[in-house]
Amino acid sequence: MSKLAISLLFAVTAATTLAQDPRQIIAEVQKRQNSASQRYEGTLEVIGGGNRVATKSWTYLRLGSFGDSKARLEFTAPADVKGVGMLIVNHADRASDQWMWRPNIGRDQRISLQDRSTRFFGTDFSFEDLEERDVEQYDFKLLADEGAMWKIESRPRKKSQYTYSYFWIKKDNYTFQKVESYDAKGLVRVVDYKDYAQVKSIWTARTTEVYDMRRNSRTILKYDKLDYNLPIKEEQFTLQALRRGL
Amino acid sequence: MILLRLISWPYARKHLLRVVLTMAGIVLGVAVFVGMHTANQSVLAAFHQTIDRIAGSTQIQVSSGEAGFEEDVLERVRALPEVKAAAPVIEAAANTGQGNLLILGVDMLGDRSLRNYDLEGTDDAIDDPLVFLAQADSIIITKPFAEQRNLAIGAKIPMRTMQGDQVFTVRGIMKPGGLASAFGGSLAIMDIYAAQKVFGRGFKFDRVDIALEDGVSIDTAITKIQALLGPGFQVEPPSSRGQQFEATSSIYALASNLTSVFALFIGMFIIYNTFAIAVSERRSEIGILRALGATRGQIRTLFLTESAVSGLIGTLLGVLFGIALARGMAGYIGGLLSEVYGVAQGASEVNPEPWLLAAAVVMGLATSLIAAVLPARSAAAVDPVKALQKGRQQSLSDGENRTRRRWALACAVASVIAFLFSNVGWLFYGGYMLAILTAVLLSPAMSLWFAKALRPILAFVRPVEGTLAADSLIQSPRRTSGTITALMLSLALVISLGGLARASYDSLNDWMKIALNPDLFVTTAESVTARSFVFPASLGEGLRSVPGVAEVQFVRSVRLPIKGTPIMVVALDIASLERHAKLPAVEGDESTMYREVAAGKGVIASENFARLHGARFGEVLQIAGPAETLHLPIIGIVRDFSDQQGSIVMDRATYIRAFHDDSVNVYRLYLSPGAEEAKVRQTILDTYGHTQRLFVLTNKDVRDFVNRLTDQWFGLTYVQIAVAVLVAILGIVNALTVSITDRRRELGVLQAVGGLRNQIRHTIWMEAVAIGIIGLGLGLVLGAVQLYYSVEVARRDLIGVEIGYAFPFQMVFIMAPIILGAAFVAALGPAESAVRGSLVEALEYE
Repeated sequence: MSKLAISLLFAVTAATTLAQDPRQIIAEVQKRQNSASQRYEGTLEVIGGGNRVATKSWTYLRLGSFGDSKARLEFTAPADVKGVGMLIVNHADRASDQWMWRPNIGRDQRISLQDRSTRFFGTDFSFEDLEERDVEQYDFKLLADEGAMWKIESRPRKKSQYTYSYFWIKKDNYTFQKVESYDAKGLVRVVDYKDYAQVKSIWTARTTEVYDMRRNSRTILKYDKLDYNLPIKEEQFTLQALRRGL
Repeated sequence: MILLRLISWPYARKHLLRVVLTMAGIVLGVAVFVGMHTANQSVLAAFHQTIDRIAGSTQIQVSSGEAGFEEDVLERVRALPEVKAAAPVIEAAANTGQGNLLILGVDMLGDRSLRNYDLEGTDDAIDDPLVFLAQADSIIITKPFAEQRNLAIGAKIPMRTMQGDQVFTVRGIMKPGGLASAFGGSLAIMDIYAAQKVFGRGFKFDRVDIALEDGVSIDTAITKIQALLGPGFQVEPPSSRGQQFEATSSIYALASNLTSVFALFIGMFIIYNTFAIAVSERRSEIGILRALGATRGQIRTLFLTESAVSGLIGTLLGVLFGIALARGMAGYIGGLLSEVYGVAQGASEVNPEPWLLAAAVVMGLATSLIAAVLPARSAAAVDPVKALQKGRQQSLSDGENRTRRRWALACAVASVIAFLFSNVGWLFYGGYMLAILTAVLLSPAMSLWFAKALRPILAFVRPVEGTLAADSLIQSPRRTSGTITALMLSLALVISLGGLARASYDSLNDWMKIALNPDLFVTTAESVTARSFVFPASLGEGLRSVPGVAEVQFVRSVRLPIKGTPIMVVALDIASLERHAKLPAVEGDESTMYREVAAGKGVIASENFARLHGARFGEVLQIAGPAETLHLPIIGIVRDFSDQQGSIVMDRATYIRAFHDDSVNVYRLYLSPGAEEAKVRQTILDTYGHTQRLFVLTNKDVRDFVNRLTDQWFGLTYVQIAVAVLVAILGIVNALTVSITDRRRELGVLQAVGGLRNQIRHTIWMEAVAIGIIGLGLGLVLGAVQLYYSVEVARRDLIGVEIGYAFPFQMVFIMAPIILGAAFVAALGPAESAVRGSLVEALEYE
């Protein structure tokens, strides 16, 4: 379920109505963040051991409704990673298909299911975190009503690197505030959503921070030039288009 | 125990030099045995450890010999529910600007589920994983490698790749230990898709490493994966990867066993000789003991215990020397691995295994005890009355000699019978042992005969000294027969090894004249046997158009499992091979077999493949490729030295069909008449050398390379020869030292009656040289027999090729002066001791 949550990094959230059933709450979150397309320019800061900071930029495109969308991202800076791209095709009923393109190697490479728990290009996300999965692929339990927020537990019905996750969802606008993801050994990742603002009536976090609890490192993703419902063509979400670049 | 302390220890202390020399044979035999086996085992263990480290948590590996396979195999394997993780690998050795490296091309995304890279730095990241993946020049090296060469993150490593000269950038350094210790740290990691380009692999992987889901048994998974992929793939645990090296090292193990056995056998005769003399010397002592009530059994036990103690001490010293020898040999044997992997395998720990130590103790003790049985029996037979009478001798050996000759005759007859039925393995080896035993049993009688034959010659050279020397040998055959037997065995070993080496070189030269006759060889490495890099077939088309090139042979050499062993398969245009390098058939019709192989109707097998792997002419071989499983009969057998384990030659078109592999290891070029070799070579380098890794070797370069390789392989033979010569020399020194001590009274009497010091000296010198001559004579005869058996052993079990019998006269010319010179030098000390010692003491001796 954390995939569902973290994917909001790329398809950002919104909120309004109230509901007490955890599945309905999550469905409402998805509904409020839904858009026909999305585009932003992201800046990644990976802060590793010794506070060493690596900064990268990418451009992100998404087309289609939640759980059945297609997404592309392409690194734009620094120069030695420019052109590296990803194509993600999400499916409502199963894990997404993902491909990576490396212009210097000249090869596209399918990211196999077994590799989805691998860190995404040295960030604190995993490839699995890039996926969108439909609400029906999880079981939910409302753990607590914490005043302004609900705390909901989610457990994936299909194979995932996470055993369960906890979500904190703000009641007034149905936005994710925090996600903790666990595996059999304990806490793996914590995601904080910050700097919410409305973009075309959709509540959108402008900053996301991901903490890798095992490696003691964090990644900060900032969204610039974020916009929804832009005219983006279907042809941009093919392997040929990935090889051509944005 | 009391007897040992009161009787044996004072005697040993008095004859310390003799004791040391006596033990030398055991020390050498045990040292060679322990040294070679420890070195072999240590390198093998280190190699298996390397395999384990590279394998990581891999439980099963999928490969298709060395031919590689299409990328889609990976997805097919990953789709199986039993498979938890599957990662593709390209593994190849490369000579970089910073030394040889075994390069693992891996998928950096998924490979960490199988291997732990344990990288330097506070986080476990490569300097920047995205940059590593994005840049094709990224490489990870190990900390030991980096430290040895003073490399850091960002350092550049130049390498000649199949896309020309490239510079790689160090973007990660693995911490020492684990994977980083494989091949002593000479290991590097690169992205698999970059590695495909570097090594010219196209869109192929070398293998897929697999980890299974919890609870899935390896056998079940192997069955399932094998069924999925078909017979063209090898699905096995990583531990199976040592086969090639094990086959190589087992030959060394066998050869070292033979040397050890010979050294111990020779040592046995030295011990026998010493104890036989000790029994003569200590007759009065034995007589006194017997008179005081010691039983025959106690006397026998005393001598056997003495021998056991000296054998034990010799064994322990041998073990220590063996461990020291192993440390030196480990590097040498490890170097042999570079032929298999391109990177030498060192052994981090060189320690003998417990079973080896136990075997060494048993061997050393058994040798000592067997050697002392006859002298101990003689000692037990001493009559106390005769022994205590001054000047009274007791003949102890007449009966022994007769028995020995009878046994010799029986052994000779049995050996001949075994020879007649030598096609049966155990009868052949039995006959071999019996032939050696015959020579050993006949040796005393032959020594006596030789000594008698030498007497007039020695007397002619120096009437007094020569006669005295010859008589000394004739009258005391017991004193020298052991030494002569030891010398004979040593020389036989030297001659057989030398003959084997000579014949091998001759056979190789004959083969090279035909098989390696192209004018130029375009290769991917300085070595023609390296197979890490491969050329695309398109290069061959380009080479055809180079002015001066008349014909280009495309050669693909890959090791593929045939009859359960990785065998070298050479695929090339057979019609062209027939035109230029037609090897004479050992079996099969030379006029038709090449045409049939060209038509894809069969294969040509090398003689050593047929012998070592029990393949027969006409037998249908299964050669399974990813695309097709071939069933091809052997329609010709030729003498080919391409590979130690044998080789199979097949048509290139047939190979490509079954393996979907049109890459090339070597282009063999025949030039047009009048074309200048140097000019063509330069044109090729100018045209293609800048865009891809390429070496152009001349015919002489390749022959020199093969000769160097052969020298390396025969390196151990020279060690064996050195050991044999050393033991022979030790034997002579021992015999003379014993002889002089034994004859101190006799020599004192000679001096007392007016013998000049020079006459004494000359007598001893001549006796020494005579021992050398007799040993040489017998050694040459036994050497001729031993060479026959060695050639047969090589043909049957070592290299599988009939290399011909060629008596190494050159070796005899080298050995004769060495042995005679050693005999003379060995006599100098004892001769001086004899003439300079106190006359009174000498006359009081005994």
